[in-house]
Amino acid sequence: MSGVDCTKAMAHLADYLKRELTPELMVEVRQHIDRCRDCFQLAQFEEKFLAMLEVRAGRETCPGKLRARILEMLRAEAERH
Amino acid sequence: MADPSAAGPTFDQEALPHLDALYRVALRLTGDPSQAEDLVQDTMLKAYRSWRQYRPGTNAKGWLLTILRNTFINDYRRRKHEPIAMDLELAEPHAIDRSVQEVDPEGSFFAQIVDAKVLEAIDALPQEFREVLVLSDVEGMRYAEIAETLHIPVGTVKSRLFRARRQLQADLYAHAVEMGYIQPRESHT
Repeated sequence: MSGVDCTKAMAHLADYLKRELTPELMVEVRQHIDRCRDCFQLAQFEEKFLAMLEVRAGRETCPGKLRARILEMLRAEAERH
Repeated sequence: MADPSAAGPTFDQEALPHLDALYRVALRLTGDPSQAEDLVQDTMLKAYRSWRQYRPGTNAKGWLLTILRNTFINDYRRRKHEPIAMDLELAEPHAIDRSVQEVDPEGSFFAQIVDAKVLEAIDALPQEFREVLVLSDVEGMRYAEIAETLHIPVGTVKSRLFRARRQLQADLYAHAVEMGYIQPRESHT
């Protein structure tokens, strides 16, 4: 049996979802979440939130004219040396 | 084209793939597309000129974002209505999220919120919280990289991240209730 209870699992939840725990703790927290309905639900909510954030706030791209300006600048900079 | 160091990976190969991330972070920091463009351009110029200081094999994205962030702090005007971090520092971290999770435990209301609203909610966070959230949860940087970029301890990264997420969830939840995406629980008083 692992030593991770609900309190400990939830204290580690944020680090677990970002894969910032030691391999041993990653396994222990996952095992707890897999068998605890309440913790599973909380973990699922947080996971959805993080996935949403990554997609929704990660779509913007560098405008083409800025990219062109930067390439031009780097070319000019390279020629100076 | 651009390789001041002559040996090792070229600046173009290492830096250009991160332009999108640099632009997104610049947008979140400045809150203004034209300032964001200037900030990215300044960052790329500084990075190019100090390319010899970059150690090949290390995280180029983190290196570039550090330059971008330092440039922003030193050379750019702060947002006009910069939110104050104090009230968030004092906020009870568990106060809101439990109620959000109880009403919509699967978080399905997130799917109904449009991108613009999510960005608006991020932009409403105080800078200290906003930058940590963007670097971690949007750009996928590790805690240690963020700590290095922002010159703060890992523990501070984690606590700011925690509060930033709670604030964001609360804001998006309030928005979802307002838009009728979600029915708030009746209060039993």
